Amino acid sequence: MNGSSDQPDHQLGFFRYSSRALIICMPIVALVIAARQVYLSNYHGLAVWKGGGMGMFASMDGQANRFAQLFITQSDGTRQPLTHLLRVQKDAIDNALNYPVRRNFLAVAKSIATIEWASSPERMPVVLIDSKGEPAGRASESYHMMAPFRPRSRDEKWKGNIQIEFWKMSYNPLTRTCHATLAQTFAFTPDEVQQ
Amino acid sequence: MSMAEPSQGNWARRFTLEALIKSTQQLELVQFVSLLTLFLAVTFPFDHWLFIITARVCLFLFLIFPIIIRKPAFWAALALSATVVTILEWATTDNHKYLLLYWLWVVVFCHAAVDPDQKRRVLVFNARFFLCFVFLAAVAQKLSSPSYRSGEMFEYFLYCDPRFTAFGKLVGIDPKVADAVQKILDFFKSPFSQVINNELLLPGTDRARIVALALTFWDISLQSLIGVLFLWRRTFTDKIAHLLLLFFVFTTYLPAPVFGFGWILAIWGLILAKDRFPKISAAYFISFPAILLYQLPWREWVLGMNS
Amino acid sequence: MKSATSARTSVISRRQSASGSPTGRPFVGSSKFGALIEFARNLDLFETVSLLTLVLTVIFGFDHWLFHIVARICLLVFILWPRSLRTPVFWLALALTGAITIILTWELVDNHKYLLDYWLWVLFMVHLFAQPQRQLRIILFNARFFLCLTFLAASAQKLASPSYRSGEMFEYYLYVDPRFAAFGKLIGIDPSVGEAVKKRTMFLRSPFAEVQGNDIQIVGSNRARVAALMMTSWDASVQLAIGLLLLIRRQRTDQIAHILLLFFIFTTYIPAPVFGFGWILAVMGLTLAKDKFPKIGAAYLVSFFAILLYQLPWREWVLKS
Repeated sequence: MNGSSDQPDHQLGFFRYSSRALIICMPIVALVIAARQVYLSNYHGLAVWKGGGMGMFASMDGQANRFAQLFITQSDGTRQPLTHLLRVQKDAIDNALNYPVRRNFLAVAKSIATIEWASSPERMPVVLIDSKGEPAGRASESYHMMAPFRPRSRDEKWKGNIQIEFWKMSYNPLTRTCHATLAQTFAFTPDEVQQ
Repeated sequence: MSMAEPSQGNWARRFTLEALIKSTQQLELVQFVSLLTLFLAVTFPFDHWLFIITARVCLFLFLIFPIIIRKPAFWAALALSATVVTILEWATTDNHKYLLLYWLWVVVFCHAAVDPDQKRRVLVFNARFFLCFVFLAAVAQKLSSPSYRSGEMFEYFLYCDPRFTAFGKLVGIDPKVADAVQKILDFFKSPFSQVINNELLLPGTDRARIVALALTFWDISLQSLIGVLFLWRRTFTDKIAHLLLLFFVFTTYLPAPVFGFGWILAIWGLILAKDRFPKISAAYFISFPAILLYQLPWREWVLGMNS
Repeated sequence: MKSATSARTSVISRRQSASGSPTGRPFVGSSKFGALIEFARNLDLFETVSLLTLVLTVIFGFDHWLFHIVARICLLVFILWPRSLRTPVFWLALALTGAITIILTWELVDNHKYLLDYWLWVLFMVHLFAQPQRQLRIILFNARFFLCLTFLAASAQKLASPSYRSGEMFEYYLYVDPRFAAFGKLIGIDPSVGEAVKKRTMFLRSPFAEVQGNDIQIVGSNRARVAALMMTSWDASVQLAIGLLLLIRRQRTDQIAHILLLFFIFTTYIPAPVFGFGWILAVMGLTLAKDKFPKIGAAYLVSFFAILLYQLPWREWVLKS
């Protein structure tokens, strides 16, 4: 059975000569990947929960404090927000929020572009909110409500740009205030999102 | 040969603590670890069809040909599929799933070795390395994070993370606080509202603040102690480290539903303790079914209770 | 206490060598399929059926937290203590949990999951008895009964349904059910046909559109119509034949029934992702065939492997190509 020292060393013969390699191989790989994760988290926004580091419950910055706002923009500069998203689009956004690079938000935009969107005839006003969460009047903008209508045919061209704003929230425990910052805006042209 | 088990009358005797300790001592380490790792791969797998199918096929093959679990090729199949999946989805794969990947390769190398001592050495060295790595790297990342050090991370999670709402209720934080905070934060997320200066006052509580600070302090102390104590490699420090690790496993995975992570920590602890600390290894043995039981929907029960 | 796997391995080795060749290496000179047949012949029926059912509960079990936890605990217990598989309490835990799950969510549970729970109760009853002959009788009777029930009841419900008999059910599914889109593409129905149909039917669903007379023309295709009619007659015929042949209980009819059942399993669960159902049919088929038809028993073993592989995302590959 296994384990006899008389058994021929035919199993992965290379490791006969470097038995230590068997032992330390994975620790080295783990350290390299963890170092990469730390770099990507600090400089490219990778969520600390992902990518091979050990940063679980190490920072507030992750899925819980990140969100995205999506807009379809027209040639005249007006834009309408997309709030009623399909499951597949929400999943794509969650992926992009984990690693907020252009490539991942492009996947979101492409997913948006596979659907025909219907807009409400009336414009809805944007409400101004004060720091206590109470309405404080109306903003100058107003938008049409957009909802997914049906799948778009592959031979139909997508019209309009798609704009995705990537936001982060931070929390100050001393003042108990939460602050939102627009971290990055991504704009995608019709050619980019056409599948 | 009779098929039915004739020994039902011996069950009471079988399940005493001494019997449990004796049973764990008699189990062969490599075999035991292989079985627990296979279970981990099947029950808490990577969320990708390639790994799920591979794990299921491996489970099927093991049940039909039990000896296959000793073949390096068996483990190489799992490790390779895990590697492919991790490469394809590296940015969205949770950190603890990387640990599963590393561990599968360790098990490959363990079974590739011929000498039983060599097999054991592969497991023991890597178990200790990864325990130290996990805890010390976690501590380093936490201490380098301002949002962690100030306690704001745990306080924010107590308000916003649904996994913490039930735990919050148990320590006296009304779930209505979390609801109110999330309602307010929705103003940021909605394009139909514009928050003046992008700043909102959260209806938090002092209790949440204190709990967050306590959690922060407890978490960092416990993890740094475990990591440092395992680094020493002395009997006395190992014993304390194991007790702390067991405490960590039994308490952390009740609120934090990252069961695969708890499972693999318990495997590593068991590897280091099995031959040296019989009672501790019996405790690790119990931690496995405990982790499975932690999947009970206790949060829903707590939140459904009248306060 | 021996190591868990060693205990099982030595039992299996003794069993295999007892019926193997004098050289002690039963597979010398055999083809691979011959070796598989030999292997299947030598398997212990109760242990194999129990193991396959355990895999079924873990992988394709009820979608409820209670069953998930119990199935996983049972798997853990089995891995660490293989003899637990032969205790009635083991199966009682699974059967009872399945029953509770069904009672709590009865109108949401798929039909084939009821079959799983019945089978778990059968295994509980099998393990209540110590005498192998009695165990064999229980398991053989129930395997045959449930196979006949499944196929004959299915045939009856299908033939009683006008939308099935006319072929409209399969034609409609070919257009609108995403699980059939890739299969449709393989038989020459362009996915754009299905997309066009979905686009039209959206007008019926949308509160922002009013369709005159609630009647809308859909594009469709003749190929889809023909395919649907063929699938309808094939499906009803195969299922009726399997049910009737197994009812007769003769060697010859059983053999044909098993071949049809294998054909059914190998072909149905590629387009229809109801893997748990395929698995349990294969378990029941193996139960009946293992000792009487060794080659067919070996084919059932292969079918389990195939069912696992059918979970590959082949639909996405086909649709993207």
